[in-house]
Amino acid sequence: MAKEVRLPQLGQTMEEGTFVSILVEEGSQVSKGDVLFEVETDKATLEMESPEDGFIKKILVKPGETLEVGAIVAIIGEENEDVEDMIQTSSDSNGADDSSSAQAKTAESETLKVITLPQLGQTMEEGTIVNILVKEGDNIAKGDVILEVETDKATLEMESTQEGVLKKLLVKSGDTIPVDAPVAIIGKEDDVVSQDYIDSLLSGKADANSGESTTASEVQSEQAPEGVKVLELPQLGQTMEEGTIVSIIAEVGKTIAKGDVVLEVETDKATLEMESTADGVVKAILVEAGETIPVDTPVAIVAPVDVEISQAYIDSIKNSASSDTTEAKPAPVAPAKPAPVAKPAPVAAAPKATAASGNKIFASPRAKTVAKELGVNIADIKATKDPLRIKEVDVRNYASTIASPAKDESAVIEMPQPEHQLGERVALTRMQKVVAQRMVESKQNIPCFYLNSVVDMTELVAFRAKLNKTAPVKVSFNDFIIRALGIAVKQFPIMAGQIVGDDIKIADSISVGLAIAVEDGLIAPMSKDVDKKSLIEVAQYNQDLIARAKSGQISPDDLSGGCITLSNLGAFGIESFIPIVVPGQCSILGTGWIKDELVPQNGNILIRKLMKMTLSVDHKIANGAYAAQFLDYVRKLLENPASL
Amino acid sequence: MSYKIDDKRGKKVPKISELIKKGQITIDDAKDWLRTIYEIRFFEEKVFELLGKNIIKGASHLYAGEEAIATGALAAMEIGDVLGSTHRGHGHCGASGNKYAESEGERQMHWNRMMAELMGKETGYCGGRGGSMHIADVQKGNLGSTGIVGGNQPTAVGAAYAEKYKGTGKAVVSFFGDGATNTGTFHESMNMASVLDVPLVAVVENNLYGMSVPFSGSPIEGTVRASNIEDVAVRAAAYNVPAMIIDGQDVVAVYLAMLEALSYAKENNKLILVEAKTYRWYGHSRSDPRAYRTKEEEKIWRERDPIIVLSEKLLSEKLATQEELDEIKADADKTINDATEFALNSPWPDPKDLAKDVYVEESYSQAQHSLDEDLSKKSLEATDAFTKALESAEGKTKKEKSENAKAKIKADYKMDVLTMGEAVVAAQSEEMAKDKDVIIMGEDVGLYGGAYGATKGLLAEFGPERVIDTPISEAAIVGSGVGAAIRGMRPITELMYIDFLTIALDQLMHNAAFNRYMFGGHAKVPMVLRSEGGVGRCIAAHHSKSLEAWLMHIPGLYVVMPSTPYDAKGLLKAAIQSDNPVVFIEHKATYGQLGAVPTQDYIIPLGKADIKREGSDVTIVTYSRMVMFALEAAKELEKQGISAEVIDLRSLKPLDIETVANSVRKTGKMITACEGFRMAGSGAEVVRQLMEYTFDDGRTGFDYLDAAPVNLAAEDVPPPMSEPLELASIPSIDSIVAAAKNIVA
Ligand SMILES: Cc1ncc(C[n+]2csc(CCOP(=O)(O)OP(=O)(O)O)c2C)c(N)n1
Ligand SMILES: [Mg+2]
Repeated sequence: MAKEVRLPQLGQTMEEGTFVSILVEEGSQVSKGDVLFEVETDKATLEMESPEDGFIKKILVKPGETLEVGAIVAIIGEENEDVEDMIQTSSDSNGADDSSSAQAKTAESETLKVITLPQLGQTMEEGTIVNILVKEGDNIAKGDVILEVETDKATLEMESTQEGVLKKLLVKSGDTIPVDAPVAIIGKEDDVVSQDYIDSLLSGKADANSGESTTASEVQSEQAPEGVKVLELPQLGQTMEEGTIVSIIAEVGKTIAKGDVVLEVETDKATLEMESTADGVVKAILVEAGETIPVDTPVAIVAPVDVEISQAYIDSIKNSASSDTTEAKPAPVAPAKPAPVAKPAPVAAAPKATAASGNKIFASPRAKTVAKELGVNIADIKATKDPLRIKEVDVRNYASTIASPAKDESAVIEMPQPEHQLGERVALTRMQKVVAQRMVESKQNIPCFYLNSVVDMTELVAFRAKLNKTAPVKVSFNDFIIRALGIAVKQFPIMAGQIVGDDIKIADSISVGLAIAVEDGLIAPMSKDVDKKSLIEVAQYNQDLIARAKSGQISPDDLSGGCITLSNLGAFGIESFIPIVVPGQCSILGTGWIKDELVPQNGNILIRKLMKMTLSVDHKIANGAYAAQFLDYVRKLLENPASL
Repeated sequence: MSYKIDDKRGKKVPKISELIKKGQITIDDAKDWLRTIYEIRFFEEKVFELLGKNIIKGASHLYAGEEAIATGALAAMEIGDVLGSTHRGHGHCGASGNKYAESEGERQMHWNRMMAELMGKETGYCGGRGGSMHIADVQKGNLGSTGIVGGNQPTAVGAAYAEKYKGTGKAVVSFFGDGATNTGTFHESMNMASVLDVPLVAVVENNLYGMSVPFSGSPIEGTVRASNIEDVAVRAAAYNVPAMIIDGQDVVAVYLAMLEALSYAKENNKLILVEAKTYRWYGHSRSDPRAYRTKEEEKIWRERDPIIVLSEKLLSEKLATQEELDEIKADADKTINDATEFALNSPWPDPKDLAKDVYVEESYSQAQHSLDEDLSKKSLEATDAFTKALESAEGKTKKEKSENAKAKIKADYKMDVLTMGEAVVAAQSEEMAKDKDVIIMGEDVGLYGGAYGATKGLLAEFGPERVIDTPISEAAIVGSGVGAAIRGMRPITELMYIDFLTIALDQLMHNAAFNRYMFGGHAKVPMVLRSEGGVGRCIAAHHSKSLEAWLMHIPGLYVVMPSTPYDAKGLLKAAIQSDNPVVFIEHKATYGQLGAVPTQDYIIPLGKADIKREGSDVTIVTYSRMVMFALEAAKELEKQGISAEVIDLRSLKPLDIETVANSVRKTGKMITACEGFRMAGSGAEVVRQLMEYTFDDGRTGFDYLDAAPVNLAAEDVPPPMSEPLELASIPSIDSIVAAAKNIVA
């Protein structure tokens, strides 16, 4: 079999080479390693060796010629082999592989240059050819005017961006073509432009004009208009790998906003809602109810209302899902009926003017940090110790001067500006909607009774302070209470029960929910397996859990499987309150602040730190006496912190 | 046996059939040699091609033409013999993998992993961390290959020492080029190997050129010569060891010579040099136009292609038919093509694993941390108590007073009072008693007991096999340590002065620190480089520097610098126990410093700072002898109403920035103090890390600074000899006090 010999990269930076001398002749026999040519590169003159044993059938270069790395320079074959065909394709395309025209196109475009219609004005999307000023065979220099084009604004001249011989004109007078459509092919004097190549260019053009389906690779070469977004199935839980579409909520043609529900998905854990991550009009839905798809599969295409999406594009997105590509495909769209006027892109909200303080204030980072902590305005402070900058002492001194008179006056309570105004309508956040629905469900289905108890936290407070000197994490009061609940539930397992038919099904493991106020509502993720972990491990887990809750990274995993919840409003100065049981759980414990109280003991009066607890219990599952023993056990555990 | 050259070229090489008849090899062995040669050849040809297509990137030193050497040598080696390779290592790795492959499948996978490594794929031998120049399966007795010419020779010496010490009966075969025999490490290594009497076969692949320079000259105008000798083998005279010269194109000749060399090395625990004359078909690397050699020369060598030489033997001896040879060739071709497919289809390494395997992961238990916290406080108390006891101690002589004071501390605190030097000796002695793989190598570490007495008495305690006085060869000392460590020992190598690091840095950085990472996490280098540094003895700039900042700059190293006997002992024991390479630098002016050291066994976690004194106004971050200066300064500052916290970093890498940041969060002011040069120094690094340190609340160290941090460090001058200048070149107690007053004001 004859083989083409291509110019190899003879040095790391070599991109092209000039043929200095040709050391073999057509017909001569060569072996692998024999020197065929001497090639001059940017660095040195080097020898190019034969990669094959055989006979030189054809030499396709001339001395002095400069070719790019990879160009075909010779053909080697058997002595009597007929390689005419090959020579034809090789010299035609200098890149012929027995592969598709798409490849031929790229290979060919190494020597041939295509001139496309440029955007001649900011809003220009297409142009009509008014006048053609050149003809095929003309020698053209860069900057020569080749066409006159009429746009929506004016008639303009189009200049050549290439130099060489005009091999082929691809437009005629009167044609209206979109920006970037091919207009002409420029090449070398002796270049031959194959019909295949022209066709491949024109078919690209035809596609562009008709919006007919195109092959994936051609589609990719087109640019997507701004604003097209492919919605993909997100990972809705830590372990989620795929999801089954339960129902499709979004409709093709309807407007959708960021945060609107697109579909409902069932995962291995729960049925969840998938929200849109884009604003726009739903152009296509790519999945069907009942289908099970892996995470990251495209499910819908959203785009601005006036952007048209071609079927080809939709197919290519679908295909990209079935093949295993992970790279995001560019989103090409056939600009069939170009939007008459491109909508102005939404202007990014102008950054709020920074506090117009005028002069720059020099203060140490620490001074600024402390000022923030003490709630004083650094601009009000003067540098005293170090004239160059305000330091921590200055802030503290200032804070004490303004704080002391304030104390003398009768208590003026400083409050921040209220967030909402009277009469305002505040939209429910999604999270609040869920809370509302679940709480109503609880009140309707869970007949509760309420138990009150007081726990003496004095020892626990001291114990915690000591522990926190050495512990790898700060252990909070909640961590203690959660750990106590874990131990107590294990002792009183009915507290982990749920009615299932005629039975009470006791949970397999003990997770305690922790009610956390977050920006847009309330969330109660689970501290898992608290009966099996040490206090420190519980604290570590909770710390991470709270961080994730605050940053909105709670997964369905975190929310499932609870048997009891802790709601602690002590930090807000609440003494006691009655919490509402979370549906699916048997009880919830509400705790108040830890307060110094005078407690009589053996004729003395002691100051003890007391905390009130209220347990709301589902009477369907547990009875008063049982729950009371449970709560009392929790109290005992908290009063003996070393046992936790 | 001493120096003698056995030039085997021109002598009759026995026929393959004779070897078969003698039962030395089988016909399958001989055919397998041919297949290995073909596989290496096709591998190199494929690599050449893929480099042209930019599918393989980076360096490529091809072994084509030299295949008979690796093939013959590996055939002569036993399973378990150790191999050291070079920048031109595809052949060594290739032949070695074939030797260890127990099935066709394993053989295929071996080539797969080689090709994948060259492409930088995750499935490569080194996970794409090394590539062409560093290709080695270190799990199969390969010490690895280096990109530094001559750089692999010292490791081979240490590895050979390990084999001898452990009595494995194995030897090390260390390959290197003719060019490499002009490096300093060649001389250091050959000399060291010859005086240590280790089983080492040093194989010089003399392909006549080191890159473009002919070893012994070339008729082409413009070329020079790299040596004034014809044969490298004559250099064996300098070490009084035997040498052979062999035909590197004839695999049978290589095999037989290597058998002889290996049995000599093993039986006598000796070094032997084998010079194989050979030629590379390609240029030095892909871009080399080979202007330095003639086409005639290339043609003559091409006629002695190892493939031709072996094929002709097999045919003429009627051991194989042409069809069989064609089949072997086709098999080899398929193996390499399949390997290429495999590599092309292999995944890239995941950038999230970028920093994987820089270190062996190590952690310390809470108990170890707590014990140190407890003991370090007690030891400081006990040291203070000792100082007081000494003042009031009874006794006629100083010695008697000191003995009495020590006895009191022992009674009150259960602690010995030791000098820094004694603590260092004690740490080594304890670890050596516990673990026989711990050995010491260095200059004057034996009878002399170390230039600063840090190995005093250890020769008597552990004997010359474990406390090894070496020639003055810093690169070979450190490199041998690396080689021994790779082969399972825990060597402590001593550099008399850290200044001498300049000579040994290649070994420390490229071989000790990078080894694990570059060989895909498959190797570890559990060695300690002990040294001392700093000013204080008026011995000028070649013997007084503090070079820790250089070392902090090297990924893969730990850097530890103790300030008290308690720290020195506990840290050095931890360093010896660590599976990572640790540089441990004492301060030359502190060897006599006394301090209380617990009698119980303890270690100090590496990477943990120690708060030597608590304070609230300013944080002084320091280490090594400067800790003592800072503590004195803190006493003075206290008198002036300033409360200084003194943090002893103890480990500079890893650096415990958390302790520093928590302190600065309290004080808002930071001074660093060290004896290293100020520019790009350790203090600057502490400031950088502090700025970036993020607390739980999201605030950074920056947010808590109330004044610009101050870096006290050595002036940027070569440390001068004259005492007043020497003193002026580093921070002093006074300058620390002044800086603190200034920053707190
Ligand atoms: C210390 C060092 N100096 C220079 C180089 C650049 N270099 C790489 S290989 C080489 C030639 C080595 O010659 P030789 O030891 O004969 O081995 P060969 O390449 O011939 O196999 C040179 C100069 C290097 N990698 N390391
Ligand atoms: Mg060489």
